[in-house]
Amino acid sequence: MVKITFIQPDGSSREIEAEPGTSVMETALANNVDGITAECNGSAACATCHAYFEEDRLNSLDAMAEHENDMLDFAACERRSGSRLSCQIKVTEALDGITVTLPEMQ
Amino acid sequence: MASPVPVMDDISLAALTADPYPSFRRMREAASAVWVSDARINLVTRFEDIMTIERDHKRFASTNPGSLMNKVMGHSLMRKDDEDHQVERKAIEPSFRPGVVKNQWTPVFDGIAERLIDGFANGGETDLFGSFAAPMASLCLAEMIGFKDVSWQDLAAWSQALMDGVSNYGTEPDTAQRAAAASQAVNAAIDAVLDHHRNRPGPTILSSMLHAEHPHSVEQIRANIKVIIGGGLNEPRDSILTTVYGLLLNPDQRARVTADPKLYRTAFEEAVRWVSPIGMYPRRVTRDTVLGDTQLKQGDQLGICVGAANRDETRFSDPDAYDVFRDRHAHLGFGAGPHFCAGTWVARQMVGEIAVPKLFNRLTKLRLDEDRPAIMKGWVFRGPVSLPVRWEV
Ligand code: HEM
Ligand code: FES
Repeated sequence: MVKITFIQPDGSSREIEAEPGTSVMETALANNVDGITAECNGSAACATCHAYFEEDRLNSLDAMAEHENDMLDFAACERRSGSRLSCQIKVTEALDGITVTLPEMQ
Repeated sequence: MASPVPVMDDISLAALTADPYPSFRRMREAASAVWVSDARINLVTRFEDIMTIERDHKRFASTNPGSLMNKVMGHSLMRKDDEDHQVERKAIEPSFRPGVVKNQWTPVFDGIAERLIDGFANGGETDLFGSFAAPMASLCLAEMIGFKDVSWQDLAAWSQALMDGVSNYGTEPDTAQRAAAASQAVNAAIDAVLDHHRNRPGPTILSSMLHAEHPHSVEQIRANIKVIIGGGLNEPRDSILTTVYGLLLNPDQRARVTADPKLYRTAFEEAVRWVSPIGMYPRRVTRDTVLGDTQLKQGDQLGICVGAANRDETRFSDPDAYDVFRDRHAHLGFGAGPHFCAGTWVARQMVGEIAVPKLFNRLTKLRLDEDRPAIMKGWVFRGPVSLPVRWEV
């Protein structure tokens, strides 16, 4: 199991045991973590699964495709250097202990 | 305990076409799926049930061997699942990305809207269906596809003939013939420009298909362009009209939106929730299963009524009202899951950022025509079929 800590915009946080192979977006939804809408259910088409990943661990995440890169510019909340579409990030051992901060709005 | 699908045999297609929302409400209250005899399909109308379906395409597939759509248009990405679907979807994506829409398509759409409004701005009255919404949607789509020398009227007629053919269920030979003729005409229009796009990569959809990592075959190009013609024209047209209608019906909301133009985007999004241009689309049950409170059987055909789910009172308060300022909630107007509308960002820009704001900016004191009321029609596809307006010149 891989531990992921989700932090809400109000600062509250929850640690979740994520299953390798699923996506971070699916992990959040399966555990009723607020703040992810995921209208397109992982097709990288809606930008409503936007989340801020810990910046010094971005290298351990799946690489960003051009499509995701473009989509992130149009997320409802400001794009920052840790911004990713959480549906495009697969849970792997490399993510263990990472924190994922949710935006104010999707 | 799940119950079998209840039968409703007192809901006529005519009633659904005139105003589906009272019937949708009855279905939502009745069960997770309802067999509507006159429509010959199981209709799913609750928001949560549709989310369940869209998150599980193993149980609820888009692939449909008997689909009339495959016969009329060829086997497009809309009727594929998993890998087969993803490859084709990825291929067309570069033409639809929000950044590409903003940088490449916005100036094109802008010019089209300006020219169309120039055409009637001095008249003081018009029916926006024929003078603005239909040509706007059609001209923009022709540019995106990469057609040359195709008139907006022809493209709109092909779109209608293809869609009629798909919903005809083989009963009227005339409709089938018109659909076949439209299909031939689309093939010819594609053939006329294919070499051009092969030699000159660009932002158009045809170019994306040809230059993808896994390029489309000619057969795939034909099927997917037909789906895009069938599904990329009426929806922006209808949502332009519905957004304008919603704002004209609600002067207080209109005043706030025109005072703060970034709200046009929300006005568009709310219009797509309020009167969803695609009210219903199909899925197929792949094995005996339970949906909500209802037992379904393998092979059952489902009609996913996003037009009903977008009025689900457990999700939206006062759902029948057009309210730009309601609490922001995701709606199902663009579908959900793997087939989530590929054209979402195109529509948001074309309608919410260009067509509607330009109309309100350029036509002083735009109002509904007191003598000719707007007419709304349809349930599988729904929108104004006539929207007469007046303004001061
Ligand atoms: C307000 C405007 C629009 C609405 C409400 C809308 C709605 C939808 C819906 C509900 C679906 C899902 C259908 C299904 O799952 O079976 C869909 C799919 C699709 N739409 Fe749109 N649409 C709009 C505009 C457009 C435009 C402008 C284009 C193209 C230029 C387009 C292209 C597509 C395509 C290609 C698909 C199939 C995606 C796939 O199967 O992966 N749409 N649309
Ligand atoms: S779920 Fe839609 S982009 Fe991630």
